[in-house]
Amino acid sequence: MTTSPAVPQLSLQNIFVGYGGPMVVRDVTMEVEQREFVTILGPSGSGKTTLLRAIAGYLRPATGIVTIAGTIASNERTWLPPERRQIGIVPQEGALFPHLDVAGNIAFGLRDKKKARARVTEMLEMVDLSGLEKARPHELSGGQQQRVALARALAPAPSLVLLDEPFSSLDASLRFDVRTQVRRLLADIGTTAVLVTHDQEEALSMADRVAVMSAGRIEQVGAPWTVYDDPTTLNVARFIGDLVELPVTEMQGASAHTAVGWVPIRDHSESESSSGRVVLRPEQLVLVAERGVGPDPQGVPGTVESIRYHGHDSLTSVRLNDGPLVDVRSAGGAGVAVGDVVRVVVTGTARMFADPVV
Amino acid sequence: MTHAKLFPLIAAVPAIAFALSACAGSSDDQSADAADAANGEPVVVYSGRSEEVIEPLFEKFTEETGVPVEVRYGDTAEMAAQIIEEGDASPADVYYGQDAGALGALDGAGMCAPLADSIANLVPATYRSTDGTWTGVTGRARVIAYDSTQLPADQVPTSVFDLTDEQWRGQVAIAPTNGSFQAFVTGMRVAAGEDATREWLQGLVDNDVQLYEKNGLIRDAVDAGEVQLGLINHYYWYTKAAEVGENAMNVQLAFAEPGDPGALVNLSGACIVRPTDNADGARALMEWLLSESAQQWFVETTFEYPLVAGVEGPDGVPPLAQVKGPDIPLAELDDLPGTLLMLQDVGLT
Amino acid sequence: MVNSMRPPLLLIAAAVVSVAVAAIPLLYLLVRTSSAGWNAVVEALFRDRTLETTITSVALVTLVIVGCLVIAVPTAWLLARTNIPGRAFFLVIAALPLAVPSYVMAYAWIAEFPSMSGIGAAALVMVLATYPYVAIPLTAALRSIDAGHEEAAQSLGLGPLAVARRVSLPLARPAAAAGVLLAALYTLSEFGTVAIFRVDAFTRVIYTAYRASFDRTTAAVLSLVLVCLALLLVVIEARIRGKSQRWRIGSGVSRPAPRQQLRTRGTVLGVAWLVGVAVLSLGVPAWSLTRLLLESQRSELDIGELVGAVVGSVSSSMLGAALALLLALPIAALAARYRSRIVRSIEGAAFLGHALPGVVVGLSLVFFTLAVLPAAYQTLAVLAFAYAVLFLPKAIGSSRSAIAHVPPGLESTARSLGRGPLRAWCTVTGRLAWPGIAAGTLLVFLTAMKELPATLMLRPTGFSTLATELWSRTEIEAFGSAAPYALTMIIIASVPAWLMGRWLARSPETAPSTDRVDDEMVRTDEVAYVGGVR
Repeated sequence: MTTSPAVPQLSLQNIFVGYGGPMVVRDVTMEVEQREFVTILGPSGSGKTTLLRAIAGYLRPATGIVTIAGTIASNERTWLPPERRQIGIVPQEGALFPHLDVAGNIAFGLRDKKKARARVTEMLEMVDLSGLEKARPHELSGGQQQRVALARALAPAPSLVLLDEPFSSLDASLRFDVRTQVRRLLADIGTTAVLVTHDQEEALSMADRVAVMSAGRIEQVGAPWTVYDDPTTLNVARFIGDLVELPVTEMQGASAHTAVGWVPIRDHSESESSSGRVVLRPEQLVLVAERGVGPDPQGVPGTVESIRYHGHDSLTSVRLNDGPLVDVRSAGGAGVAVGDVVRVVVTGTARMFADPVV
Repeated sequence: MTHAKLFPLIAAVPAIAFALSACAGSSDDQSADAADAANGEPVVVYSGRSEEVIEPLFEKFTEETGVPVEVRYGDTAEMAAQIIEEGDASPADVYYGQDAGALGALDGAGMCAPLADSIANLVPATYRSTDGTWTGVTGRARVIAYDSTQLPADQVPTSVFDLTDEQWRGQVAIAPTNGSFQAFVTGMRVAAGEDATREWLQGLVDNDVQLYEKNGLIRDAVDAGEVQLGLINHYYWYTKAAEVGENAMNVQLAFAEPGDPGALVNLSGACIVRPTDNADGARALMEWLLSESAQQWFVETTFEYPLVAGVEGPDGVPPLAQVKGPDIPLAELDDLPGTLLMLQDVGLT
Repeated sequence: MVNSMRPPLLLIAAAVVSVAVAAIPLLYLLVRTSSAGWNAVVEALFRDRTLETTITSVALVTLVIVGCLVIAVPTAWLLARTNIPGRAFFLVIAALPLAVPSYVMAYAWIAEFPSMSGIGAAALVMVLATYPYVAIPLTAALRSIDAGHEEAAQSLGLGPLAVARRVSLPLARPAAAAGVLLAALYTLSEFGTVAIFRVDAFTRVIYTAYRASFDRTTAAVLSLVLVCLALLLVVIEARIRGKSQRWRIGSGVSRPAPRQQLRTRGTVLGVAWLVGVAVLSLGVPAWSLTRLLLESQRSELDIGELVGAVVGSVSSSMLGAALALLLALPIAALAARYRSRIVRSIEGAAFLGHALPGVVVGLSLVFFTLAVLPAAYQTLAVLAFAYAVLFLPKAIGSSRSAIAHVPPGLESTARSLGRGPLRAWCTVTGRLAWPGIAAGTLLVFLTAMKELPATLMLRPTGFSTLATELWSRTEIEAFGSAAPYALTMIIIASVPAWLMGRWLARSPETAPSTDRVDDEMVRTDEVAYVGGVR
């Protein structure tokens, strides 16, 4: 169904979901615009799958309003069952019907039997599996099964599709390719998509916007680079990407003194506390070999403890003379060896957060 | 019960099995012991008469003579067929059946041992084989049982050939696997010819004849009014009358008209099975069956006709001389296999 | 777990010997039939009677299949997919008919309603006796349907009824089909019920031909036709089972589908249905038996005869079970560990026993012993042998499963520590698999106790079992005096069945779940074995 341009495809307002005990999803409010690809990222137990199932209609929220394409799907009074929400779902394990062949699976949700065959062919082309109409699910590989599941969900041309960790059961080597294909397909068709995952690489690389979820709450929603570079909470910072966390020993204006020296802090107001911790990304640290240092050396000294070489970059763990261990990311090789004495220099700005309550 | 506890229990299975099998075939061994204590090996009888009717007779034999008996019960034809199939390996010593035809078949297959003249001559020639291989023990008349509450006596058909009439649709009962019925059919074949018999049998089938396993069941069915007519042996009525009294019975007997196949007087008879390993015991049993003691037992208990001279017929039963069946020597009723085939063809067995 | 190495020659030889021995009845039947001459065989085959018998048997089997589905599908749905109260209780009720031999049920029905006869009556009793073969596996299958499938169907626009029709029931179809075929096989092989209601199906006609004709060729020919029909069913069942095993796809954890919440009207109707089925399948026979037992106190019960029958039943069944075990072990040990064409054909040949009805084995062994081994004729040994042949597939099945569950690595470890091959097997694999093997033996024992036609034909003179005593009394409609035998049989038969049920409920193969009822579910194979396909 087509939606009028200004209306968000999905709108969640103050959603609380529980299984009879404590709430698993707490006070979630967000909107997904038409044609947007949003990922909900969070560790296991964060409530992301529960939220997805509530959107799909398999669960009823305790309170809150779910609006799909401008129509209220769920609130205090009304509740639309899943079969009436016209949302496509790609479940985690695919859930292809084993008693039907591929064509039967894809055509399952289509009302018009006459046009079904043409649509099936079309969908198979879209997922790059042409010719497999008569194949049975058990004859397909994992990646092929997921693509058929996607085709099945998209065949009735829903305006919103929900994906529940659809790539987690695939081999790591397949994941990248299947992900790319799926992303491209959805962009081509223009279907709004919400994907739930615990894999941050997946979330960051596919999404228009990422919603980071933790303990039932949405901590931050934003573009991938925003969430990465500019996390608004310590949880988000920790969950996304590698992190270097350093306690603050002293504040001077908008700079904090840490084990790697003075670090300029973003968005810091004078009235905020002067203790806490600073979070940096490893790529903000730079290694300088000790011997190349002049009379006024920058950075702080340390010893290389280990190097993890990934081809396109390296992560070097340096034990600072003051004690803490920091990770430094460099493009390509690190240029140093284990045991070398180096100096670590900070670039850019950092965020500062209060110490978490244990 | 945990696996650990199941283990020793199941491990004991073979041991228990062997122990039990030693006691099993229990009556065999027990009677074998009794035999050793008494008087030699048991006589193995293959009986075409049912256990409940005839077991007391064999018990009486063992009581009086001390010779133990082991009986295998079945149908007359079945037991005869079994003996023929078993051939020389047959464990049977004596065969006792309800049909001259079965005895004839046994004889024809060479499975009967010749009887001593002293035994054979006890019975009139009509009721034994011509070559001295088998002999009748008791006589029985075929009768038509009818439900007196539904049928007055004068409406009961006097010929079995009437039974295929439309008015008796679904109202006639027969026991086609029973030796006496088979003998009666063989008699009809001899008296009236193959084609007439086949037609009649087919006529019964087309007329929705009701089938029962045993004569006793037919008698009870007629008494209960389930069917109006039934073809049985005479003595079934008398044994029940002795139990419950004549007046309590709805079922009554009618004899078919003289010369009609339905009035056939048949016999129960016995022979010694040729490969017997207990000739002494077998002979003793044959002699005893024709003794006054046994014949009297039949008269009093089963109301059958004694075949040995000098024994009075049963009370209240029309004397044998009066019952006039078709004029055939019973020895001629030996084509039981033919009868069985015909019954099979028609679908009655 | 299964390796494709060459299996030891000695083991193959032992297994081949077992199969050859077990094949004697079928082989000898062929020998005997062919010795009668081609003409006689053709003549017997194309008789009208043969056609009528085939039609009757097929009609009976069809009626039973339909009846089982009609009863089992709603029952299974109620138990597996709704929140109807008393689920655990009704599940036990649904399994109970398996403890009662079907001819005992037939006897109980005819004692209560003596005018019952014909194919309708036989079909009714067979349906009530065999519907558990369908209901129990179907319940387990419905319970194990992944909620994901149903949710996917919902998301594609299907309401609850359409989901059931297009997803849940089709997914459960293989389990139902396998159960239905088992019920059909059972019905085809069944003698007692068919004879009690005077239905001219194959088993009864064969038995009557055996008893009432001097030429037993007819019986032999009919037996071969029956075996062919039964083989057809066995082959179809094996294919369906193979097909359903390929339906396991996906690596995710499966969630059972939620139970439908019934409203008052639904609950009332559902409970009424379940109670109705229980009354028919268990209530009527129980009532009939109780009434007969109370009445028969008037007629004398010969305790000696009863004890003799018990001893006969127990001894012959135990011997048969022990012999079955002996024959089954090499085949099971082979099939559990090795997968090659030879092994598969050996196993396949052994399972032909599935298709041999008792009456056929009895007939064939009569022929065989008389012609080849007269010393064994009418002895306990040949009766035990008949049981072993008839129930060999059961023994193989449970033993193989038990052995297969023991990791082969343990055996090789034992050998690396110095034990010879046979000793390693006995002390490690054999020891660990013993409970499963023992359970299989117990199962054969249980089923042999209920066997009727082969026992009638093969037993020694004077030897009786509970089954034969019950039978001879039923034949002469002495229902009252048959009652104690029926009761004794049920009691003795239910002890191993109860033990088996408890063992199965606790075995690790049973799928764990949150629902307590699921703990009592068993797979199709086990159900078939527990109930006995005979």
